[in-house]
Parts: sequence; C-alpha cells; structure tokens
Amino acid sequence: MPSVKITLLIVVSLGIFFVSLFLGPTLISPFSPDPIEKEILFSIRMPRVIIAFLIGIALGTSGAVLQGILRNPLADPYVLGISSGAAFAAALSLLSGFYILGKFTLPLSAFTGACAASIMVGIFGWKRGSLLPERLLLAGIGLGFLFYSAMMLLVSISTSEGMRRTVLWIFGDLSMADWSVIPYGLAFIASGLGISLLRAKALNALILGDELAHSLGFSVQKERLLLFISVALMTGASVSLGGTIGFIGLIIPHMVRFFVGANSRYVIPVSALCGGGFLCISDLIGKTLLSPMEIPAGIITALIGSPYFLYLLRRRDVFQG
Amino acid sequence: MSSRADLPILELSGVGFGYDRDAHFISSLSFSILNGQFIGLLGANGSGKSTILKLASGLLKPSAGQVTLWGKSLHQYRQKDRAKLISYLPQFLDMHIPFTVRELVSMGLYPYDILPDMTAEEAMELVGLKEKSDIPLAQLSGGEKRRAFIAMTLLQGSGLVLLDEPLVNLDIKFQLEIYRLLRDLQKQKNISILMALHDMNFAMQFETVMLIKQGSILGAGTPEEVLTKDTIRDAFDVDVTVRKQDSGEMIISYARNTGERLQD
Repeated sequence: MPSVKITLLIVVSLGIFFVSLFLGPTLISPFSPDPIEKEILFSIRMPRVIIAFLIGIALGTSGAVLQGILRNPLADPYVLGISSGAAFAAALSLLSGFYILGKFTLPLSAFTGACAASIMVGIFGWKRGSLLPERLLLAGIGLGFLFYSAMMLLVSISTSEGMRRTVLWIFGDLSMADWSVIPYGLAFIASGLGISLLRAKALNALILGDELAHSLGFSVQKERLLLFISVALMTGASVSLGGTIGFIGLIIPHMVRFFVGANSRYVIPVSALCGGGFLCISDLIGKTLLSPMEIPAGIITALIGSPYFLYLLRRRDVFQG
Repeated sequence: MSSRADLPILELSGVGFGYDRDAHFISSLSFSILNGQFIGLLGANGSGKSTILKLASGLLKPSAGQVTLWGKSLHQYRQKDRAKLISYLPQFLDMHIPFTVRELVSMGLYPYDILPDMTAEEAMELVGLKEKSDIPLAQLSGGEKRRAFIAMTLLQGSGLVLLDEPLVNLDIKFQLEIYRLLRDLQKQKNISILMALHDMNFAMQFETVMLIKQGSILGAGTPEEVLTKDTIRDAFDVDVTVRKQDSGEMIISYARNTGERLQD
C-alpha cells in the first residue's frame, strides 16, 4: 500500500481546504481577524469553501465509481447525462423567473432534473434484469445531448435577465453559495460517498468483469445498481450546489491512480479528498486572479487540470496503473 | 452408510437452457462431479462447454432441471457462501485491468470475513509470481497474466474449481506448467476441477474426460475410453487416427487435408 503517497495527498487536500478559508480577494488573518474579516469568513468564505469541497468530493468519487462500473476510463459523472438533466431543469427555472421557493428554487430544480435524468438513463440502460454498462453509457450520451440541446434552445430564445446567471451556472458558479443549502447537499453527498466506500470491494470485482465478480460472490446486478444510485445522488447534489463543473470527475481518479494504484478502497476516498482540494484551489484562483471579476471555477479546473493530465499521460500510461 | 466424501459435490439433473438464437441449446443434461475429480471438458467450438461451466457456476440459471451443490439447489445459496464452495475462471479475461498482481490475487479472499488458510503470498508463490507481486498486471506476459488469475481463483479456496480454457493462447511450456500446477494442487488439497479445453492430445493427460456435442454428453470416462476415432469424428467432424505408443501413451493424429476422410 502506497501509504506515504496517500497520506501526502490527504494532507495536501485538507491543507488547501483550510488555506482557502483565509486566502482570496481579501486576505484574512487566521489568528486575529477583525470584525469585518470575521463577517467575510463566516458568512461568505466558509460556506463557499465548504460547498466547493463537497462538490469536489462528489465529483471525484462519482468519476472513480463510474469508470469502474462502466469499465471505461473516459466515463465521468457528466457522461451519464445527469448533469445535463439538472442543467436543463435549472435553466428552465432561471429563465422562466419561476422563484416560488426562493433561493431553494435553483438547487431544487437542478436536483429534480438530475433525479429525472438518472431514472431515465437507468430505464434505458436496463436490460434482462440488469444495468448493462454499454447501454448505460450510450443512454447517458443520448439523453445528455437531448437535455443539453433543449437547454441551449432555452438560452438562445430567451431575453430574460436570468440568462447571464444561467450561462455562469453552466460553467460552474459558486458565487451564490450560502449556509442554507449545505445540510441537504451534505446529506446526499455523504450518503453517496458512504455507499461507494462500503461497496469498494464490489467495485474492484466489477472492474475484473461481471463473470469474475459473480465468481467472487457478488450480485453483479445489485452492486451495479447500488453504485449507480450513489453516483446519481452525488452528481445530482453537486450540480444543484454549484452548476456543471467539468473535468474533476474525469481526471482526478486517473491522477489518484497514478499515485496510489487502482485499488478502489484507496482510489475512492483519495479521489474524494483530492477532488475537494482541487475544486477549492480552482475556485480560489477563479475569484482572485481577475478580482473583483470572477472566473467560473469550472473553467479554472479545466485550464489547470488539462495540461497537468497531459503531462502525466506523457510520463506514464495512467489508464493502466 | 454414505459419507460427505461419497456425495457428488455438484450435480446437474435434467438441465435445460437456451439462448435467443437457440431456445433448446441444452436439454436434459445430467452429470455429477465427485470429490477430488479432475475432469477435462472437451468439445468443438460452440458445443456448449462454456455454457455448461456457466450453468455449473450459477452464472446462468437453467430453464429446466436443477443444479445442486452439496445436495442443495445452487441458486438457494447466499452469493458469498456459494463463492466459498465454487470458483469459476472465464475464458475471456480482461488482460488490461489496472491492478498489480498482489491486488488481483488478493481479491480471491473477498468472499471471506475470516481469512482462510492460504495467503495471497502463498498463492503468488504457487504460480511463480511472488517476485512480481507489485508489478501492474498490464506489464506481464500473457502466460504470467493467466497465472495471476489462476492464483486468485485458487486463493478463493473453494472445493470445486471451474476453468474455461485456461490454457488458451499459452505456449506448450506454460500449458504444461499450469496443468501440472493444477494437478498437484488438486491432489494435495483434494479439490475437484472441471476444465474446458480443446486440445485432444493434451486431454490424454487427464484421468477423466467428458466429450460434448451440441450441449449433450457424447461420452465420459478415461481418455482411452472416450476419445475414439468415431467419437472424435462425431464431435469435431474430422477424421483422426488414434494410436497407442510403446510407452502406453495415446496419440491422436489429424488427417492431412481438412475434410478428407482417412481410409483404414
């Protein structure tokens, strides 16, 4: 077990989380903050950093799980169309100005869209009493395009003031983060993470193939369904908290495997924490670089992560451990 | 008085199974595997060897008849309990999985909460991969990869091991190595092995063989009894000569031209 590397990654991820609380457009002293700094820290900075960390956990874990259950290194939480479903529902509520539930309208619409998309993908991916990886993947891609096109249609014909906010949200927007949405986001993400961690051995077995997983004493249908539900919970919650933040779910698990190997019992928790740390640092850069203007975190994740991933790819075949 | 040792470990009774393309691919198949038997399952491509192994492992459910394990219906076992009694290694394995040898082999312990006697280190040593335990599987040769999968299957510690063409794509050296390893383990631990293969000369090494054609058993017994010129023609649609060497070994030679019947 590469315990030194695992410890290092955990320490760095948690370190970024704490540093992000005090760095930003306004520097906050961790030892003697003045009243204004305290107000910024507890009312603005802390909920935003916690939400970024939670989203990163959800996306990092979902990517690691999906790449295993679909047996495809290119799988990520968005390939299943869950985020497109969430984005469509959120755009619908933003552009229609339908704010019946106040500030909960957007996350709730997004979560409802994510759930509806997950169920649809599940129905299309189901055959002969089981979720089949190839069908799930193709159903996700097909439905994802459908939802995305419908959302872009809404954006293109809309003249509403909600359009700018919608576009920002599509690229991942944490600027509206506040404490009120954290408890429910935490509940869904913790549930999904818990299921994934408890089923890590089953995920390893599924990576070997359905027949070997059966031989090792796992019910392939049950395990794949449970893990799919965990991904749906986490992706739905993360999209509703901060929009569609790309890249983390695809790349973080590969980066983690490069350091800690392919065993899901390590890949899942380390991808969760590294995903959290990575989104925190991306958001920190996004809100500080051109301050007072903010760059959506989803753009920063791709701008930092892609070159680093390509560098890793040159050094070693990360897809094969 | 019968003891557990006399009981068949696995019994298929009147088993039927079909695919979409062939609803009655297997009908009324019956056979049993006794404790300590090492059986070679022979047949042409598409004869039903893999389907029989999948039915025996519980991966496929029969449409008729039943499969019993130690006298109890196979599908009534909890998945983990079944995995402690039967292990199955399929023919087609993903050789590009991202695990190291140790990670892969250790998965043989997944059915257990309390670890059995054999350790992953011992299993890797048995197949000669202890020195390569921390190397990713992708970096091993084809024969080494297959040996790693076999080590995982053996570590599972079940009394019945079902192997679907484990010698395929291996050169003769590795074929013999793996066969001897399995035979020695079978004798030491008194486990039972049902192994699909297609090389008839290799099958001569087995004490018991079962010849299959279109999901039915053409013959079962010693290779000398089962693999005759007539049964081979029936099963494979080729003409062969079967000769006994001075050493007592049986040799099967194929006709020079495919489809041309040899004259006696």
